[in-house]
This record gives sequence, structure tokens and C-alpha cells, in this order.
Amino acid sequence: MALSGAVARPPRHDRLPIALVTLAVAAPLLLFILYPLAFILGRSFVTETGLGFANYARMLGNERFLGILANSFAVTLVSTVLAVVLAYLFAYAIQRTAIPWKGFFRLVAIVPLFAPSLVQAQGLVLLFGRNGLINRTFDAGIEIYGYWGIVIAMVLYVFPYAFLILSAALAVADARIYESAEMLGAGGARVFRTVTLPATRYGLAAAIFVCFTLVITDFGNPMVIGADYGVLATEVYNQVIGQANFERGTVIGMILLVPAAIAAFGEKYISARQFAVVGEQSRPLAIQPSPGRDAVFTAVVVAIALAILAIVAIVVFASFVDLWPYRMNLSLRHYAFDVQNGIEPLWNSILIGLMAAAIGVVAITASSYMVEKLKSAASRPLYFVSILPAAVPGMVLGLGYILAFNNPANPVYLIYGTLLIIAICNVYHYHAQAFLISSTSLKQISPTFDEASATLGGSRFDTFRKVTLPLLAPTLVGIAVFFFMRSMVTLSAVIFLITPSTQVAAVSVLLLEDRGATNQAAAFSVCIMAVVVAALLLTHMALRLAGFRNVSLIR
Amino acid sequence: MHGGTCGRNLAFGLVGAMALAGVAQAETITVYTSYEEDELAAFLEEMKQDLPDLDVDVLRLSTGDLQARILAESANPQHDVIWGWAVTSMVDPRILELLEAYEPANLDRVPARFRDPEGRWFAVTGYMAAFCVNNEVLKAKNLPMPTSWEDLLDPVYEGEIVMPNPASSGTGYLQIASILQMKGEEAGWEYLRGLDKNIAQYIKSGSRPCNSASQGEYAIGASFALRAIKNIAEGYPITMVIPAEGAGNELEANALMASSDNKEAAQRFLDWTLSDRAVDTYYDWKEIVTVSGGAMPENFKAAGLPDDIGSVMWDMDFAWSAENRDRILEQWTAEFDN
Repeated sequence: MALSGAVARPPRHDRLPIALVTLAVAAPLLLFILYPLAFILGRSFVTETGLGFANYARMLGNERFLGILANSFAVTLVSTVLAVVLAYLFAYAIQRTAIPWKGFFRLVAIVPLFAPSLVQAQGLVLLFGRNGLINRTFDAGIEIYGYWGIVIAMVLYVFPYAFLILSAALAVADARIYESAEMLGAGGARVFRTVTLPATRYGLAAAIFVCFTLVITDFGNPMVIGADYGVLATEVYNQVIGQANFERGTVIGMILLVPAAIAAFGEKYISARQFAVVGEQSRPLAIQPSPGRDAVFTAVVVAIALAILAIVAIVVFASFVDLWPYRMNLSLRHYAFDVQNGIEPLWNSILIGLMAAAIGVVAITASSYMVEKLKSAASRPLYFVSILPAAVPGMVLGLGYILAFNNPANPVYLIYGTLLIIAICNVYHYHAQAFLISSTSLKQISPTFDEASATLGGSRFDTFRKVTLPLLAPTLVGIAVFFFMRSMVTLSAVIFLITPSTQVAAVSVLLLEDRGATNQAAAFSVCIMAVVVAALLLTHMALRLAGFRNVSLIR
Repeated sequence: MHGGTCGRNLAFGLVGAMALAGVAQAETITVYTSYEEDELAAFLEEMKQDLPDLDVDVLRLSTGDLQARILAESANPQHDVIWGWAVTSMVDPRILELLEAYEPANLDRVPARFRDPEGRWFAVTGYMAAFCVNNEVLKAKNLPMPTSWEDLLDPVYEGEIVMPNPASSGTGYLQIASILQMKGEEAGWEYLRGLDKNIAQYIKSGSRPCNSASQGEYAIGASFALRAIKNIAEGYPITMVIPAEGAGNELEANALMASSDNKEAAQRFLDWTLSDRAVDTYYDWKEIVTVSGGAMPENFKAAGLPDDIGSVMWDMDFAWSAENRDRILEQWTAEFDN
């Protein structure tokens, strides 16, 4: 078992190809992440009296800002811990126990990924609001608006991201280690602490980073459920959308990048202690049923699944009700969509989702392989750029895309205003999350494979094609699904890139909501979710027909 | 690296789209608007009758989203016309410098105080503040029906009022600005401090307070009249209350972009926005129309709007609102949003 960080310096004849590959991988990352962000950085220094730090001084020296900063941390730390713990339990149940209906629970775990933000906001209010189902039924006096409302909404929102990373981390294990531990007389808890937990250390760190940045950059949940509890992301919204003050908004955007920078440095420390799990002699872990353990984990998984489903189910139900909560007879009237362009935006979204899935898989495979397997001087900077977009609020990224690419002198202007640039924006908006899922998987593949094929005279490319890619394939399928789902619903960056001819489904929901047709907006959201589920089922069936029996779309 | 068939298909699509654009260019314009989607659809349908040869591509975004979008694109604007967009945003100097003065046919139908003295914009429609009051909640909690801003100070409403946050919502700002204009600054701020004691939430959108009251989450949502009218039409048990002191309001203006490379078509469109047919349609959808003509629809009256809308509107000083916005928001956030 070798340390994944300890790859020998590549032989001389490898260096030129590696440099070329590095360039090919780095170019799009620089173009679609760093270049737009450079414009944002530039904007944050623009003051009335020329360039300077006045905006920073003004924001940071403000007592109110410090309060908002403290609020943000209070929400983010608690939400992150809760989400990661729950997601670890869920992923452990899926990967390491014999609970029933794993396919179904996998799907439930990622529902928040393809539920339009309206669904979660509506669901929480319909369930826990002052006039919500629970308060009306039990007179419970629950007050959802405020700190705990944000935390609950955030945990639901980031849970699937943590689950996907941790599930990838727990997916592979070497049976030999577990057998030795058992032979040495280690109990369940001890095996977990000394074998399982260390082997998922990187995945855990990645999940914490992803949850932290998602929570701290999200303005949707605090806006809807947070009442007057101000956080950094809502302050960005106030400045950019409320007051069209890009300078102050981008200052906060820059401050939000700090966690990504810290994570990029911390990664070195964590990776150095991460052991590769799958070596050339390892045997996959066969899960033995254990009634007691399985019952406990079934209960945990069912409880979490119920929480996720309840929110969605009540919105789906309300969309079929004449007028919730006043006229409770069933009705289809909200499904008579009279929004502009009808369902055409839904097709645009599907097209964008497919493009994002295709581009995303290639981009993520390239960047994560580059960083994890082809160690070079460029690895650390590329790692940083790869995870950087996690720290950028979508609104800020969208602004950056306009400032950078709405320029006829820039070659990207050729695709400005098309569906393609929206797909690309989605890929790089969610690059960090997908990258971390992929790199978590790659870390588990021992570098001894590369050494072995090198000794046998095979090239790195052969190893990649014959060993790494097959081992990584299940994760890549999941990443394609991930990009497809996010593309169907994401709004915050996309809103800056849509044109009259490239309307997307999430915008139709927004149009309906903005004109007061909230029920119709909910019904449209239900249709979007139905399309995603249908697409998943179709893909699943197509794969089965094509002979891939054991492929799971969600790892 | 992004190659493959996907890229190639797209390239074809792109070429196709460009070719189409080339053929139709003479008669296609792009319009950015904040008119709500259903209003927009009705206006465009009428427009097609008068200008069948003009293709109008419309992008609809909320006032704030649109301002961010226009400013971000200002180095290379993608649109020819701004249509139905808050005057308070339009008079932002960064926006004004993107506009070109244009005097559309029939401009004299718009009273002078509703247009830019330098001719860069003219306002034809508008919206006004109103409370959405949930009848069921009032009954259940045994609360009186409020009729004015002053009534909202009554301690019985503590924790039952939601209003938009002026730092993020234009509707919120027009409400605050109208109070400060009506009462004068000193008394106005004193009033806002009293009101703050009863406010449950300053919501970050102008329509959500009404929706929240409609769903029965709170008794009273300060919002705008059209949202109340539409929610009543949807069936919600709410009453629209126009504050007795006079309703703060915002006008929606039209303007020509200086960058437009299709000004002749853009001007035809702007001319149309002051035509009889357009004005008639505005009356069907908007509570404030600055041009005489048309008649208010029955459901507006049923919801409680008087025939003479001017009698319930506060005469807003839009220039004052725009000039003092930064200062007022700074003071407001320092006092009430922390």
C-alpha cells in the first residue's frame, strides 16, 4: 500500500506529453473560471476616486458587516456539521450495510439536486410555516422563519452534495484489511475508527468544504426563510440586485473566496495521510447482512428520506389542490400553463443539461486525473482553480461571465447568447463539487497500477484507459447525472446569460412566481422534477438493454 | 477538449441561427422589460396587430435583476429598447448615459412630469403601494382592518406585518420613500421606528409580502396593488387596502438605447407604446396609466380601486427618491436591518 502523494518524478520522455496535457486541461479552467473572476476582482477595486481599497475598507470597517459575518459563520458551521454527519450515515448505509431498496434511497438522497429552489422554499412554508400543516394541525407554535429555518433549509439543500462525495469515498474498500482487523479481534467501532474513517478522510474533508462553501454562498434559502437574519450572501444580493452596486457586491464576493484558499492549502495536509484503498491485490468488500446493524441503518435512512420527501410531497400535493390551504378539493387548474413559450424552455433545459453532462464529464475527468495522477508543478494551482468556483456565488459568476465574454474581441463571444455558453457556465459553476467527487474516487486507486503498467512497458495512457477509467466509470456516470440535474434547475448565474431565444425551464418558474402565479410555478416545478426522474429511468433502462446490468446512475 | 459531435451540432446550430438573424435583422428588435409575464404577453399580442412585420424579442427580468444585467452588459449592450422599467432605476446616471433622446409620436399625451426633460425616457404605466390583508387571519386573531400607514402602528398588529426590505426591493424603497416624503424626514424616520416594532419580517422581495399574507402566514403584507388584485383573482381571501395617507408609487418608463443598430424599428416600437391600442391594453392590466383614454377593468374596481386613481396616489418626487437613495438605504439598514 503506497501513499498516493509519493509518486515518483515522471521519466524524462514523459515530461513533454505531460506538459501538453497540463496545458490542455489548464486552458479551459483559466478561461472559464479565473478569467471571469479577474473581472470581478477588478470591479471590487473601482472607487469614485480611481482604483483602491476604499470599498474593502468601507465594508470591513462597518460594524453591521461584522454582525453579518458572524451570522454567516453561525449558519454555515452548524449546517455543515449536520449535513456531513447525516450524509455520512446515509452513504455508509448505502455502501456498507445490507439495507433494502438502495436504488430508491439513492434517488431520494439527491432529490434536492433537481428540485427547483421554489419547491424547497414552498415546502418548508407549507409544512412548518405559521399557517403550515404542522402548526395548523397540532397548534405547535413552531416559528420557522429565522436562524433555524435557514439551517434546516441549508441541510436539506447541501445534503445530496455531501452524500455523493461520501458515497464515492465509501464505495470501494479492500476486504483484506477488514478481515485482518476482524482476525485481530477489533470490534465494529474500533474497525470504523481505525480503518473506515481514515480511508474516507479525504472524502470527509471534501464534503465539509463543499457544504461549507455552498451554504455560505447561498442567498435563496436565507431570503425565503431567514426573515431578517442577514448573511454574507444576502448582502451580495442586496448590493448587486437591490442597489446595483457591483463594487460593494464584488468585495463580499472576494471575501467569500477565502475559504477556498484555505481549503486548497489544507488539502495537501489531508491528502498526505490518505491511503489508496484499491491496489493490485485488493479484493472488494462483500457486505454480509447483519440484522441489528441493518435495522438501525434502515431506520436512519428512512427518517432522512422522509424528511426530504415530505418537503417535496407537500408541494406536489398542493399543486393538485384548488387553492391550498383554503379550498382543498383536487384540481388540475395549475397545470394549464399559460406562460410564454409554453414548454419550449423545458426542451432548452434538457438540451443544456445534456451538453453540460457531456462537457462536464470530459472536463472533470481531465482536471481530476491531471491533479490526482499526473503530479506536476501545476497540480496545486490547478487544484485551487478547480475548487475555486465553489466559493463564488452564482450571481457573481454570472456577472463575471458577462463582463468577460460580452466582448466581440473575445473568441468566446461567438457562443455568447447561445445555449452552449449556459451549459459551459453550469459546468464551471459546479466544477468544484463534481471535481471533488471524482478526485475522491481517484484517490482510492493505488498508484502502484501506474508503476506496474510502466514496468510492463505500458504507457500512462494505457493505464488510464485499462485501469483508471473502468474503476472511475461509476463515478463519472454519477457526475454526468449531477450536471444534468443541476442544469435543469440552477438559476443564479444563468439569469445573467439567458436571452429571449434561450429561455430555460427554471426561468419559466421564476416568471410565473414573479407574476404572482405561485401555484402554477409550483406545478411547473413538479413537471421539471418529473422530467428528470423520467430521464433517469430511461437512461437506466437503455443501459440495461445495452447490457450494462450493474450500472447505478447514482453512486 | 470539448470537441466531439456535441460541439459540431452546436456549431451547425449556431451558423443556422446566424443566418436566420441575418435574414430577419431589418425587422427584429430586442427589448428588455420588467413588465410581468402575463401583462407582457397581452401587450405583445396587441402589438402584433398593429406591427405584424416587427419581431420583438423580449427578455423579462425583475427590476433589480434587469438593472444588474443592463449595467453589466453596458460595454456592449444586447438590446435596443428598455420597456416598462422603474423610473427610479432609469434615472441612475450609469443608465442614462446609455440612452438616446427620442421623441415618439404622441409624446404630448404623456404629462410632462412623467417624462425626462431631456427626452431620454417617458413613463406610461406604473404601480402603487397597497396592503394585502388576510381576512381569515384578521377574523381568527380578532384584529381590526387597517386603513392607513398610521393604523399599522397599533400594538395589536405586533408580529403580524411583513413588508419588503428597501435595500433589496424597489417596492420596498418606494414605500419608505413615500413615507419620508409625506411626513417629512424627521417625522418619517420616527414613524418607521414605531412601525419597526410591529414588523415581523422585512422580506427581500416586493411581491412576497402579499403572497405571504395570502397564504395566511401573516395578517398584513405591505406590497403593491396589482399583486393584491391578482391574488384576489386567484381566490385568496384577502382585502386590498390602499393606505389613506396616499399610496407611494413607481412609474415604468420606456427608452431607446443609444447603441441600437436598428433604431428605425426600435422607434416604431416606441411609437406604438403610445398608440391608442397600447393605451387601451395598458388600462386592462395596469392600475396606473399616465395617458388618458381607456377605462379601468371591473375587477380592479371590485378589489377597491377608485375610478380616479389620482385621488389615492401620493404625488411622488422621483428625482428626490433617486438622489437620496444611497443615503436613505444606509440609514435604514443601520437602524432596522442588522
